[in-house]
Amino acid sequence: MNLDSTQHIARSFDSSAPSCFMVATILLVEDEPVTRTSMAARLKRLGHRVLEAENGQTALEVARRERPDLIIVDWMMPEMDGPTFCETVRRDPAMKSIYILLMTSHDQPAQIAEGLARGADDFLSKAASKQEITARVLAGLRTSRLVRELETTGAQLESSMLLLQTRQAEMEADLQSAAAFVHSLLPPPGIPAPGLALAWEYQPALTLGGDLFGVAPIDADHLGLYILDASGHGVAAALRSASLMTFLRVENMLELIGSYDPAKVLFEANRRFPLSEEGEYFTLWVGQLHVPTGSLSYASAGHHGVLLSPAERPSQWLTRPSSPLGFDQAAVFASDRILLQPADRLFLLSDGIYEASSPTGEPWGRWRFQQAIETQKRSLLATTISHCFTEARRWQEQTDFLDDAAVVGLELTV
Amino acid sequence: MEITQRAVKDATVLDVKGDLTYSNRAAFKTAVEQVKNRNCLHLIVNLEQVRFLDSSGLGLLVLMSQSFKLQNAKFSLLKPQSYVREIMSLANLPKMIPIYETEGDALTARAA
Repeated sequence: MNLDSTQHIARSFDSSAPSCFMVATILLVEDEPVTRTSMAARLKRLGHRVLEAENGQTALEVARRERPDLIIVDWMMPEMDGPTFCETVRRDPAMKSIYILLMTSHDQPAQIAEGLARGADDFLSKAASKQEITARVLAGLRTSRLVRELETTGAQLESSMLLLQTRQAEMEADLQSAAAFVHSLLPPPGIPAPGLALAWEYQPALTLGGDLFGVAPIDADHLGLYILDASGHGVAAALRSASLMTFLRVENMLELIGSYDPAKVLFEANRRFPLSEEGEYFTLWVGQLHVPTGSLSYASAGHHGVLLSPAERPSQWLTRPSSPLGFDQAAVFASDRILLQPADRLFLLSDGIYEASSPTGEPWGRWRFQQAIETQKRSLLATTISHCFTEARRWQEQTDFLDDAAVVGLELTV
Repeated sequence: MEITQRAVKDATVLDVKGDLTYSNRAAFKTAVEQVKNRNCLHLIVNLEQVRFLDSSGLGLLVLMSQSFKLQNAKFSLLKPQSYVREIMSLANLPKMIPIYETEGDALTARAA
């Protein structure tokens, strides 16, 4: 009957999951030769590979070399006893998760507690029946296999994580280099043309921003200027912006339409930059300044971020309702003209600055931006712009902006 | 954002509740495309309960209206709140997409 049960358990281990059955390596540590030989024979009959050691020291060497799936160790042994062996294994990073069955001839609760506390996973009484021995070994092997699987998964996760971190760093580096390229296309602050001063501050929400601007001479007397804003977020928006920026280069416009007439520039851009499949688009404001007279003609495609701040009069927004690029293929853009006086300033700004929200969700707003500009008329242009950023940051109570924040200032210095 | 769809005479109405923004664009697009794929002749997007519309939301309205036009179907907007209406006006949207104050007006316009 006993024999039948044992065989049944052994068979069930074999047959219940034939595809999963693996010959396990079991290390048996027992100083008493007769017990060791008889136990080894039983384990071999279960189909496992059995390694034998007659003392703790030898067992440690074998365990390090072979990494067995299970160790069965006798409690009572000369020199290194079972619990000390368990402790040593648990301290070794390469072996610490090996499943250990501690063999004992006593089964006092206090002794069991001590054995568990010192690193054993389970107990095996020397008086145990064959069935119990078989059952405990199989249970130990099941646990051992699960632990190994977990360890493998953990190691795979860790290596995936490392791989991801490497990829992330590569992408960051790519983005940085793309950003450096786009940044090199932005107009350098200083004197873009005699009689004009240019200053700007730009803080993209990402490394690579989607809101861009340009100020460049068209000929000896004219200056072209624009600010564009891509809807949407992320790298895709930034790349689309860079392509529109390239399109808006003065040389390109002169070649395509023979001038930098703002309405014509918008008409052409509207034709060539339709809505994306996701419904993304640009808003764009384009101006052309005749520097000797201060005559500014401008047109807007849905961009509402240009403020004229005259030295002696109240400021005003240079915009009117208009379709963003790609909304209406037949759109015709109207241009307006205004005369700038010496010391007048023009500000081109992205919505990221005036839509900076307070912690309660209230945007800073164009009106507050305008106020900040009004109070800074006597300051240097760069100081005025810097003040706007300070105020917007104070409003949102954080340094970084959620959207690209740009303020470009142009001043007639004569 | 919550979107409820209901059929009215000769049209389908989408009642949108919440913000129509970048983060909600997929849900809105899916809802509109479902209606479009059933060859609906007139879609009325009810904006009465939309508090906020950002640039992505605006682009999506235009994109959807363009795709309805291609299908010879009509795309209308209903009762935008003042802030949303202002954003739409600044972008000249009323010139491209009809905006109505009542469902009745939207339906009559279709019949006319």
